[in-house]
Amino acid sequence: MTFMTELQLDALTEIFNIGAGRAASSLSEIVGEEVKLSVPHVKLYQSSKINAEVLSLNSARLGAVKQSFIGPFNADAMLLFTEERAMEIVHDMMGSQVSIEDVAEFEQEAMCELGNIILNACLSSMADILNISLESTLPVYSVGETNATLQQIISEANQPMMLVLHIDLAIEKRLSQGYLVFLLSSSSLKELLIHIDRFISAI
Amino acid sequence: MPHRNDIKTLLIVDDSRVSRMLIRNFVLAKCPQWIITDATNGDEALKIIDHGTPNFCTMDINMPGIIGTDAAEQILSKYPGISIAIFSANIQESHRTRAAALGAKFIAKPVTEKTVAQALDFFEGKP
Repeated sequence: MTFMTELQLDALTEIFNIGAGRAASSLSEIVGEEVKLSVPHVKLYQSSKINAEVLSLNSARLGAVKQSFIGPFNADAMLLFTEERAMEIVHDMMGSQVSIEDVAEFEQEAMCELGNIILNACLSSMADILNISLESTLPVYSVGETNATLQQIISEANQPMMLVLHIDLAIEKRLSQGYLVFLLSSSSLKELLIHIDRFISAI
Repeated sequence: MPHRNDIKTLLIVDDSRVSRMLIRNFVLAKCPQWIITDATNGDEALKIIDHGTPNFCTMDINMPGIIGTDAAEQILSKYPGISIAIFSANIQESHRTRAAALGAKFIAKPVTEKTVAQALDFFEGKP
């Protein structure tokens, strides 16, 4: 991996890990269960090679909350859940305030808010560590075929290479799996590395 | 210091219907007498407040139109007596610092019984 040094990669992975930890803590508050994190993966891919298999997304269809973060570098962030698990999480989030029959009515808005909380928790921690400020767009939720969801984001970014940061969130007791995926275009990578270097030099 | 049985007014500002609903229900569970109105964005909140100032306000940050911290600043410059709790998913230090500078209470989302209790404590503690 020549696009960044081992130290830069280590720092970025650790910063992502801390952000994901904050995201997991927020998710845990919402569902009332422990959320386990996988080892984070950070890797540069040719955009054409990014698909569900490469990212180990083991579900044909996913509910995806997408949000873009804009600042010194831009990132597209996604929180992905298998479709049926998304409904369970919505039910957890709304608690006894909504009956299970009515959960579907709130799916769209509840998933947007859930994604907003979790993606912001992660990106906010990362921004604070890097001493930068990131603004976010409003979250958008869609349910669709996994590869189509990925392809839409990749084609919108229109970049030959993308840095992928990816971690799994598991709500163990429910066998629910969620995925936190960030895509950074190669044009944003240079800026990101400048801030990573600043972070390293301050250690 | 107000008691939870007193009749107080609260304006909830959040573009998420789910968050508005959760805040409303957690507040009413503890303060059943309170009169609650809501707004889906900062501009709507400013209009509502001009027609009748609430005692308290909860404010989201990331909303369509004017962002919540800007709305809070405008509200507090006109009506400094309103206590504002900023409920935000964006927990960056810059937003926490700005909330503190405005004299507002910053509360990290998600909206839960616990985080709503933090807002209520803040509302009760402010003379």
